[in-house]
Amino acid sequence: MSRRRSTATDATLRYLPVLVAATAFALPLAWVVVTSLKKQSEFGSSLLPAAPQLANYQLALSLLDFMKFATNSLVLSSSYALIVVMVSALVGYGFARHRAPGRGRLFMLVLATLMVPNLVLFVPQFVIFAKLGLTNTYWPWILWALGGSPFAIFLFRQFFATFPRELDDAAEVDGAGPLRIFFQIYLPNAGPALAASAIFMFLWVWGDYLYPILLLNGDNTTLAVKMSSAYVDPRGNPLQTVTMAGVVLYVLPLIAFFAAANRFIVRGIVTTGLKG
Amino acid sequence: MTGAARVLDRPVARVAPWRRRGLRRAVTFYLLISPWLIGFVLLAAIPLVMAFLMSLSNYDGLNLEYVQFVGLENYLRAFTDPDAQHALGRTLLLMAVVVPFSLALQLALALLVNQRIRFTSLFRTIFYLPYVIPVVAAAWVWKIFVDPTGGLLNALLGVAGAAVNVRWLVEYPTVVLALLTIWGAAGGGMVVFLAGLQGIPAEYREAAMIDGANRLQVTRHITLPLLSPVIFFNLVTGIIATLQILVQPMLLAPGILGLSPGTVPPRDNYLYAVHAYLEIFVKQLFGYGSALLWLLFGVVLALTLVLFKTSRRWVFYGIEP
Repeated sequence: MSRRRSTATDATLRYLPVLVAATAFALPLAWVVVTSLKKQSEFGSSLLPAAPQLANYQLALSLLDFMKFATNSLVLSSSYALIVVMVSALVGYGFARHRAPGRGRLFMLVLATLMVPNLVLFVPQFVIFAKLGLTNTYWPWILWALGGSPFAIFLFRQFFATFPRELDDAAEVDGAGPLRIFFQIYLPNAGPALAASAIFMFLWVWGDYLYPILLLNGDNTTLAVKMSSAYVDPRGNPLQTVTMAGVVLYVLPLIAFFAAANRFIVRGIVTTGLKG
Repeated sequence: MTGAARVLDRPVARVAPWRRRGLRRAVTFYLLISPWLIGFVLLAAIPLVMAFLMSLSNYDGLNLEYVQFVGLENYLRAFTDPDAQHALGRTLLLMAVVVPFSLALQLALALLVNQRIRFTSLFRTIFYLPYVIPVVAAAWVWKIFVDPTGGLLNALLGVAGAAVNVRWLVEYPTVVLALLTIWGAAGGGMVVFLAGLQGIPAEYREAAMIDGANRLQVTRHITLPLLSPVIFFNLVTGIIATLQILVQPMLLAPGILGLSPGTVPPRDNYLYAVHAYLEIFVKQLFGYGSALLWLLFGVVLALTLVLFKTSRRWVFYGIEP
């Protein structure tokens, strides 16, 4: 009997803390969903909606040209992610596989740029972009992407350094140049690293508020900027419930994207594991 | 060609093909990394020089004709600027609260989801989710959660019999900012701790258990020392991130309409990066603001260096996996 009690306490001890923590983490998120389903008159007066108001979601899509700004965010985030991941993979492959004088020091420089506060670099970049007339265009993001991301370069260098060198040697004997080796051997086997870094680069732009608010305006801007202010009714009163519906719509694709990409990452690990 | 080389120096002639190959390899390397190298020069090196020159000038972001070299004036001014001092104080206070609490929470969460329990992947997802939620959405999550009338926090406090009309964003803005920061960062740190935990061979713990150690002793004397490099990593990145917090205080400013690039957060949440940002982009003081940012960079570097120095005493790099 004492044994049974001890297993019961054991289970409580194991599950209670994690359940409490998970509840504390999820409650604020759940509250957004609950609020998004209330009538505006229920906001602040009743704890739960009497009937779920899906109309809030329709309003969130129509009171603001939601789809247009979502498209802006999507175009900007995916073109940035695509370019920066390809460039960073190429540069990471260079650092991992090609010897040259100065390589070590240049790699330290890649890591050093991670230490510099973003704003220190951004302020002069902002001046340059303004002088070149690149504000209110997506060019700054394209330029950033073309230079690669130090974080992703580091990731790809570490990842490619684990590849067996015999592959390169065999390909070189067959007369393949470094670019062909990169595109035909390294890139196809980099699924997990490509997926993981693409997701984080995409998320960074999709979620970024600072750069679009400073570099873009009006019709060009992203959903993040649009979502930072509340929806209002025609008289200018805030509509918290519709705003929460908008926030859910803003975040939901990311969660779906994560769920879908998760499988891809797992598959990538499995295939590279088999091939390695 | 080989003849000429032989005349000059026999050994050189023997290594020449290798050296040619080395040269070709070097050219290949520099071509492969050229996107980054060009980007580094244009988007990092030149801007850094510009940022430094700016910090020594009275540049207003618009007129190059009126630019004057002012020497160290901007830096000296930062030391007598009451707003900068207030902002630095608030930032260090936030750091002193958020970083230790975050580390403890991240480690605790990693230990919790590393147990042999059901639904671990669900729990991991719940803890990780806030980390990937965009900052604008995360700010809304907390604004609505602590809303005086429509928020759940006051409702819960009301059930517990406490005051029910707390205007959190006005009366305790730093509490909300700290909660947002800790909640948002927990998942990222947890994953790093989890990777560290899973890198510790089970035999160490088993051996200690056989020797009669209890769970607490195993955690204290086996797990924590072996995790110390990971703790150190999360500590350094946590400090660097907290010192640079900028948009969260602005997004958490009370009042939900008309948020603009010039929104000034409440005094308690007036952090150092916010001050620099407002001086530059609202007051157009590019020179002074740049000096403020270089001083922030200096503080970040100094703290990191101090941590690296002390790390020799408590970070344990003993075992090779």
